[in-house]
Amino acid sequence: MSRVIRRTPSHGPSQPSADYERGGDSYIRRRGRDFIISLYSASRALKLYPLENAAVQNALKELTALADDMLKHERELELRVSGEFIFINATRLRLDLDNYASFSRILMMFRDAGVGVCRVEEGAGPREWTSLLTILQSATNEDVPARFAHVTGRLEAAGIRSFALSGPTDTDDDEFREMAKEAAKRTYAQSVTVTKEVINSVRMGRSPNIKKIKRAVQSIVDQILNEETSLLGLTTLRDYDEYTFTHSVNVCIFSVALGRKIGLTKLQLYDLGVAALLHDIGKSRVPLEILNKPDGLNDEEWRMMAAHPWLGVLALFQMRGQAELPYRAMVVAHEHHMKADLTGYPKHLRERQMSIYSKIVAVADGFDAATSRRVYQTEPLTPVAVLAEMRNNPRRGMDPVIVKAFVSLVGHYPVGTLVVLDTFELAVVHAVNPVPEAISRPIVRVISDERGNLLHPGALADLNQQDGTGRFLRTIIKLADPERYGIRVSDYFA
Amino acid sequence: MSTQSPPVPATHELAEPPFSPALVEEMLKVLVKGMRAHQLYLPNNPVYQRALENLKRAFLPVWSHVEEIALAISEADFRWEGRVVMHEANKSESLPWLFFKDGIRELRLMKGFEEQEVVGLLDILKRVKKASPEEDDLLTLIWEKDFTLLRYRFIDLTLENNAPIEASVPAERPEPLPPPEQMEAEPEARPGIVRIEDLDATVHFLDEHEIDYLRSEVQKEYASDVRRNVLAILLDIFELQTGKPVRDEIADILENFLMHLLSAGHFATVAYVLRESQELATRARELDGTHRTKLVGLPDRLSAAGPLSNLLQAIDESATVPNQTELNELFEQLRPTSLGTLFTWLSRLQHTEVRAAIEIAASRLAAANTAELVKLIGSSDVEVALESARRSGGLKTAAAVAPLGKLLTHEAPKLRLAAVQALAEINSAGALQQLERAVDDSDRDVRVGAVRVLGARGQRGALEKVEAVVKGRSLRGADLTEKMAFFEAFGSLAAASGVAFLDGLLNGKGFLGKREDSEVRACAAMALGKIGTREAADALQRAQGDKDVLVRNAVNRAVRGGGA
Repeated sequence: MSRVIRRTPSHGPSQPSADYERGGDSYIRRRGRDFIISLYSASRALKLYPLENAAVQNALKELTALADDMLKHERELELRVSGEFIFINATRLRLDLDNYASFSRILMMFRDAGVGVCRVEEGAGPREWTSLLTILQSATNEDVPARFAHVTGRLEAAGIRSFALSGPTDTDDDEFREMAKEAAKRTYAQSVTVTKEVINSVRMGRSPNIKKIKRAVQSIVDQILNEETSLLGLTTLRDYDEYTFTHSVNVCIFSVALGRKIGLTKLQLYDLGVAALLHDIGKSRVPLEILNKPDGLNDEEWRMMAAHPWLGVLALFQMRGQAELPYRAMVVAHEHHMKADLTGYPKHLRERQMSIYSKIVAVADGFDAATSRRVYQTEPLTPVAVLAEMRNNPRRGMDPVIVKAFVSLVGHYPVGTLVVLDTFELAVVHAVNPVPEAISRPIVRVISDERGNLLHPGALADLNQQDGTGRFLRTIIKLADPERYGIRVSDYFA
Repeated sequence: MSTQSPPVPATHELAEPPFSPALVEEMLKVLVKGMRAHQLYLPNNPVYQRALENLKRAFLPVWSHVEEIALAISEADFRWEGRVVMHEANKSESLPWLFFKDGIRELRLMKGFEEQEVVGLLDILKRVKKASPEEDDLLTLIWEKDFTLLRYRFIDLTLENNAPIEASVPAERPEPLPPPEQMEAEPEARPGIVRIEDLDATVHFLDEHEIDYLRSEVQKEYASDVRRNVLAILLDIFELQTGKPVRDEIADILENFLMHLLSAGHFATVAYVLRESQELATRARELDGTHRTKLVGLPDRLSAAGPLSNLLQAIDESATVPNQTELNELFEQLRPTSLGTLFTWLSRLQHTEVRAAIEIAASRLAAANTAELVKLIGSSDVEVALESARRSGGLKTAAAVAPLGKLLTHEAPKLRLAAVQALAEINSAGALQQLERAVDDSDRDVRVGAVRVLGARGQRGALEKVEAVVKGRSLRGADLTEKMAFFEAFGSLAAASGVAFLDGLLNGKGFLGKREDSEVRACAAMALGKIGTREAADALQRAQGDKDVLVRNAVNRAVRGGGA
């Protein structure tokens, strides 16, 4: 389900500040998903078998029927590839474990062909679909406009008039991006406020308001399902003074995004999000002087700090005044520092298996904590180094499949990483490249020219773009420390 | 996809609506009726079905004009195209208020909603109307439902006025920056240099095997009992953390949690807590007396009459029958002292299936705790004593013989009868000896029950009493069944020594040639049949042509089965 955030006039101080709209386009999401899978099946069948083969014919018939049905229902059928997303009639489709491969292939096929938009007109039958898919799959190595011209020229020559094609829409459409960015900022701010309120309530011995937590997580889930880049970008906002709260929100965002990546349903993302947002609630029972101690902790202080996972379980039992206790959040709070085999801390005695949500939160928590500046960690590690450690050091005890999915989510260069390009431009990683093979070639925002002149806000560039000879236009040569350049990465997301 | 809704203009400025507002008013009226029907009737009820049909029909006139309808919501009104189409000031009755109070300010219904999703909305409204403040609000429920043909606009009442994050002022920085080219030239450690070997993209795609693994992990997550996991965690913390305040807190949590689990019907999980708490009491380090007592005392507390009665009542009143395995698991953890309460409740339970389930669970508990069962035979509660007596018999509990014997003196005949039946089932020498005392009981059923058993088991010790009854006057006034029972028992017990007496009754003539009463003669015939000796058979043969139908029939039956 998508959620579009309305831009509302500012409210008075006592008025609630948010005004949202939800619901409505599940039909197009469901049928759109079927359409993409069918499109993929037909293109695959055409690639593998001769045209006369029954599998090809059936796939084409199914595709034709599905497209006709959608045209009848929606009165239009437009497939748009934008950034890492596929839109059907302006509705962004969701990825899940069952359509992961199909979506990636269709994205790649359209990109390779230099096509951004394909409008299907009435009368597109198996013959027309055969031509379109065959032509799309025979992409040339030219630059994008030439590839697009090649495709349209061949369709024209074949007398196919059932499809109206346009070139790539570059990256996302600006309005959509801007609205999503605004929504992400509001969601992030509200989530931090709610987290702060909850943790402080527990610290004061009061029962926190679970409804606020639920609402914050609902917004995060909606946002991630709708347009995750903006929210993921905001995780680069590292507020030194509010670390505990921003960290919880960041872990929630990373966890929900990772959950989406591995195909969790909306309600499962909700469970995961609540658990992730509350994973550190036990810290509300750790004395502030220990939490904020800049020097190393002595044994007793460390013991108290290491108690926060199990203290979290007790704190969550404090959440009375609700119909059902947050059990999954309790499990995650307790397990998020354990290794996947349940060793580590806190110790456990009774036989049980680690929750997959704990494994996800452990990875998100580990990543955000290690890349953040905190009172006792003035030199955070680079995201790349953290990912390498999580991936390569089995003693960290993280689930390797979850780590792999996480790397695939954030890329080799996570959002917010400052990089130096071979053009000597500076760039901030904006998003993972939607082309799965281009995981080391993210979409970046170029923020300075080769002479060091700052560009604000800078232009987006796809590092997977090549020139006519197959050479990449830009390549990352080095990671850079934003402080050294006096750059605040979050400025490019907020 | 959506824009900010324009402010509602004053009525005099309103443009002509695309169709008559009466259609929308009617649709909403029928929606409210449908909501009431949904609250009052089950889905298979014709009234409900009719209301739902009406509701579906009420949308059609609207869809003949538009494919989507937007309703603005205020405290007491639904507005369409700026016009009030429903007004209800009474909040307890008001549909607009139901939405408004949780922050919903606009509803957009799309064509097809009435067919596919209206029931889902009615479900939510029903739930919200009954919900306590701690339950999920309308907004959360609608969010979770993920409607396709319903959109809504809302304000979030739970959130304070959070200023959105503004783009922060860029930090002070040198202008222009030193060109990266120069920066790169600095001879310093370059830990961030990109290494091509780090960039093997292929290792980051999930393969089929990994996707299957994740899928199975998610399935496991939702198949496992998360409450039990939380309990395991709590018990681990209790065991590992020896500080008194922590253990105090966990002991309190466990106690409250137990009540919560019971009321929610998670019986297997309750059983788990009870089982583990006993283990914990013996295993945990540095456990002080208070905590040990609390842990060990958990099953005692649940087994006490008050809590257990509450539990049984809740189960009986619950809409669903508890899972038998879970119930058994729970009852196995109860103390034997709970048997009395269970027996009391067995006769009170209204729900047939629940009674059957509790019956099975109670039987298992009784079988495992016969000492308590025997003790309960002496209970002052007649129902408890009765149930205990019955089950003692069923379990052939030898230790129950003495209390059952004692029960034969109880003033309630049904208890004495239960004791007779239980003693008969136990069927030991001691049990039969106790039964002899019931031969001259004041209650006819008790006497009949006892004498039949004694006769059937050949309890010779009872002969004297039985003979006295058979030869006495009291039996003359008894009904045929009782007479028959005593005579047959007499025949079985007296054997050959009884033939002369019985022959006399059957064939003999008294003063002035008068024969005995027909019933007595028929009974004597049956008793002779039980004896089965040649003399007895001769006696029966002599009576085979008797003119009295009752006697003749009895003789024939005795002859057919007598020798057996």
